[in-house]
Amino acid sequence: MLFITIFTVLQYTDLFIFKYPHFLYLIHQPRQDPPPAHPQTPELRAPLSSPANLGPAEPSALAPPVTIEAFCDQVQPQPQTPSSSSGVPKLCGYLQKQGGPLKAWKQRWFTYEEKKSQLFYYRTPQDVTPLGRVELGSATFTYPLKAENGTFHIQTPERTFILKAVSQQVMLYWLQQLQLKRWQHRVQQSAGSPGCSDSTNNNNNSNAPGENQPLPNTSDFQLTGYFKSCSSLLLQELVWLLHKALEAAQLEKRTCGEFLAAKGEQERLELLRHRERQAADLRSRLEEVKTEAEALRRSLAQRDAQLSELQENLRMMMEKNQAKQEVIVKLSDQVTACMSDPLHSLSSPSNGLDSQTFKQLQQEIENLKDDIEAYKTQNKFLNSEIYQLTKLWRKSSEQEKSLMVKCAYLEASNCQVESRYLGVLRKLQESKALEAGEREAVKKLIEDALRGELKSVAKLTPHRDHDEYGFKIIPDYEVEDMKLLAKIQALEIRSHNLLHQEAGDRPLLGRWAQYLAGRSGDDLCASPELKSLIRAGVPQEYRQQVWRWVVRARTHSIKDHHPQRYTQLCEKSRTSPHPASRQIQLDLHRTLTTNQRFSSPSSPALQQLRRILLAFSWHNPAIGYCQGLNRLAAIALLVLQSEEDAFWCLVTVVEAIMPLDYYTKNLVASQADQRVLKEFMAEKLPRLAAHFEEHSIDVSLITFNWFLVVFVESLPSNILLRLWDAFLYEGTKVIFRYALALFKYKEEDILKIHDSVEIYQYLRFFTKTVSDGRKLTSIAFNDMNPFPGRLLRNRRAVHLERLQGELRELEEQQKEFVTESAERKDKELDTMVSEDDEEL
Amino acid sequence: MAIRELKVCLLGDTGVGKSSIVCRFVQDHFDHNISPTIGASFLTKTVPCGNELHKFLIWDTAGQERFHSLAPMYYRGSAAAVIVYDITKLDSFQTLKKWVKELKEHGPEDIVVAIAGNKNDLGDIREVPMKEAKEFAESIAAIFIETSARNAVNVEELFQKISKQIPPLENPEVDSNESFKLTRQPPPSTRRCC
Ligand SMILES: Nc1nc2c(ncn2[C@@H]2O[C@H](COP(=O)(O)OP(=O)(O)OP(=O)(O)O)[C@@H](O)[C@H]2O)c(=O)[nH]1
Ligand SMILES: [Mg+2]
Repeated sequence: MLFITIFTVLQYTDLFIFKYPHFLYLIHQPRQDPPPAHPQTPELRAPLSSPANLGPAEPSALAPPVTIEAFCDQVQPQPQTPSSSSGVPKLCGYLQKQGGPLKAWKQRWFTYEEKKSQLFYYRTPQDVTPLGRVELGSATFTYPLKAENGTFHIQTPERTFILKAVSQQVMLYWLQQLQLKRWQHRVQQSAGSPGCSDSTNNNNNSNAPGENQPLPNTSDFQLTGYFKSCSSLLLQELVWLLHKALEAAQLEKRTCGEFLAAKGEQERLELLRHRERQAADLRSRLEEVKTEAEALRRSLAQRDAQLSELQENLRMMMEKNQAKQEVIVKLSDQVTACMSDPLHSLSSPSNGLDSQTFKQLQQEIENLKDDIEAYKTQNKFLNSEIYQLTKLWRKSSEQEKSLMVKCAYLEASNCQVESRYLGVLRKLQESKALEAGEREAVKKLIEDALRGELKSVAKLTPHRDHDEYGFKIIPDYEVEDMKLLAKIQALEIRSHNLLHQEAGDRPLLGRWAQYLAGRSGDDLCASPELKSLIRAGVPQEYRQQVWRWVVRARTHSIKDHHPQRYTQLCEKSRTSPHPASRQIQLDLHRTLTTNQRFSSPSSPALQQLRRILLAFSWHNPAIGYCQGLNRLAAIALLVLQSEEDAFWCLVTVVEAIMPLDYYTKNLVASQADQRVLKEFMAEKLPRLAAHFEEHSIDVSLITFNWFLVVFVESLPSNILLRLWDAFLYEGTKVIFRYALALFKYKEEDILKIHDSVEIYQYLRFFTKTVSDGRKLTSIAFNDMNPFPGRLLRNRRAVHLERLQGELRELEEQQKEFVTESAERKDKELDTMVSEDDEEL
Repeated sequence: MAIRELKVCLLGDTGVGKSSIVCRFVQDHFDHNISPTIGASFLTKTVPCGNELHKFLIWDTAGQERFHSLAPMYYRGSAAAVIVYDITKLDSFQTLKKWVKELKEHGPEDIVVAIAGNKNDLGDIREVPMKEAKEFAESIAAIFIETSARNAVNVEELFQKISKQIPPLENPEVDSNESFKLTRQPPPSTRRCC
């Protein structure tokens, strides 16, 4: 009756769960008042028993529930008959289930089936045939965060069930219980005893047959009975003894009758005496038995005492056990709660033990929420602050940049003004129209101007003295006699750099980045596009890569045959020094001395350079070492950064690019190139060639070393490296183009000088004063066109042959001279010379 | 005052200090790590000599053996040649003798030859005795002096001695502002190698 009422009351609630032991007890003890329909769990609106689960047919498989502690606190361990635990709490209730192609929500009645750990679902609680079932044994549970409140998923290997409870808490409760069920089921399975009711606290089920759940007091009785039967056994023995005694007495009585019937006095007496003895004997035996009985009684009392003591012990054990069980229950509850949702256990305020902590925790949560709010506001504020500051910073850096540009511009124009001023002074100095006083004043002004070193020029913009490769950006001019001009040039370079540092390389860099995008350093291939890019100069960022590629392309045939070549050469030069090693050692410390990376004697670059040159001397014994190769190798090392690559770069220049015999004895090919250059000058720069002719200037005195060391230490580093980019890619023609371009660039200046010494002086250093590298490049590759390679080759061949003829002639003359002088017998000198000849 | 331009070339083995001597003379400066000369380098310096100004047009040549074939370009038309050796290197003195021989064969006829034993600051590791060198110089009627570019010893003196040996102008009326024709003795074309 009661159940029906409850059921009807709760029929419309969404969830029927029966899980709470105290509630179970209440229902099973009708003497007590019926519980309120909604027990003290406001968050869980309807944790209630379903009527179905209370049928007597339900097996007692469900263990004493491991459940949320909050609901256990009222449960007292009470003596229960085994049958009283058969009231099985059952997990069941309404849930929304999503299904069908439309993914519609349908209300279903879910019941948990203990034995197989399955969740059956029906259309209504009254239905007999389920619509389906969910295997919980291997199911996993999740609930998506972003879905509707109360939605959760049960995933079985076969499919995913999407379910929805009325609220998040109910959902969590379901999940928690399902987890618990699944766990229990697993534990039972693994225990291998399907009848075993509960593995968590049932470890004495073998105690008494028929008792599913032995309870403390039943075992108590049992024990007492045992002891009692023990003592009654003793008493029976006693009775039996007495019985025997009685039998003996009856026997005695019969003997007495016999005695009375005896014939003679003597016989009677004899008999009497005999009986008397017997009686005495019996009396003593009785006495004995009495003491024995007494002893037995005492031992019985003792045992009783023992028994009660044991009972006491047992009770204590039971209590302890109970307490432990409770702890276990609590702990496993907590574990379950934690696993399903930590919030859930916190939100169950009916727990007396933890309510204090709970309140504290809740308070803490409140505080934390407040904190979070505060932090949110703070964060919002700071974000806006960052935004504002970034805006301010950007603005001021823009301002700074524009100021820098202005500064650079001003400084550049200052440099220009100063250089013009110095130019005027220079003209005045030369002018003959000045009077002595004026001349003195001009001289003074010049001295003043020169005294102020270039460094002391007000530097408004921060600038470096050295470039990325360690070269001085403004080269030193060791020209004592043309200081004024040198200073003018330095100012020009500076003003040019200042004006072009911004705009200069940016677009070039973009073009290169575009070209190299998607290409690795190894698969560049020669093309007109690459050629024009390289002519414009490889940006410093890509120079190493491009050079490495060119070097590899030009040396791969040797390298493929001898991959270990460099290491072997190094090894060889270590074990047997080449005759050139002395010269190499001598030149080592005199290589690119103005470059930062070579200026220190302890610089590792010097040791690398030494190994490269020594290796080369063995690699190419025809050349061995020629002064100047050190500079080529040094440049290679600066750019390629790798010793072995630099070695191969040197090989590339000397063996692949330069004509044969450029660096060998007599340097014939180099000398031939000087004549070729003169021929080209006459063609391309006829005015200048005539000017030089007029003043008997032999340009080869100046240009010879341009060619031999490919302009190293003759050009500012930025122009030098740009020239090298094209030189490595295209070959020697580039040297001619640039040599001619240099003269063209300064043609007007040179034409103005009419003194041969001054021309020489000017030619000696003018290359370092070229400030506009792009203009120079443009002259080299545009103004000098056409520049057919065939013409160059032909001219070279002609001059080389002529030169070799001259050399042979010279040798012959020498021989003649020796024989002549031997004939003349010029005493002192002759002996000296002939000594030397032997040495030669 | 009349300015006379005198072409002077420096010859000698590599590393003996030719460039250092020129640098000391022209800029009064010494650099331990001066670059080896490739081809040649050109510097000028004017010094007074009597009632003339001598403007030295100095061609500092490269010392390495294989640059020898270029030397004629530089000593051609020279008024004087300074042959430098290193007193701590006997080899360099042998090279000097070769230069003497070459100048005798191919050099201008009246060229003034000066022999400079450089690095005399390194007397303790000397290999070429001063006496021997001096005797050799006398035997070829050359100027002899030991110098130290490092310590600025006898560098000025070397060039002064050369100045004194230069014969005075035969034609004093020559306009001092006209550049002096260096090629007093145009060499026969067969001698040219460049
Ligand atoms: N101790 C000492 N060292 C000197 C002196 N003069 C030159 N040196 C050093 O000798 C080395 C070679 O000097 P250079 O002036 O380059 O010699 P060079 O004759 O011009 O050599 P090349 O140009 O290769 O022909 C340098 O390291 C100088 O520092 C000197 O007077 N004393
Ligand atoms: Mg030198």
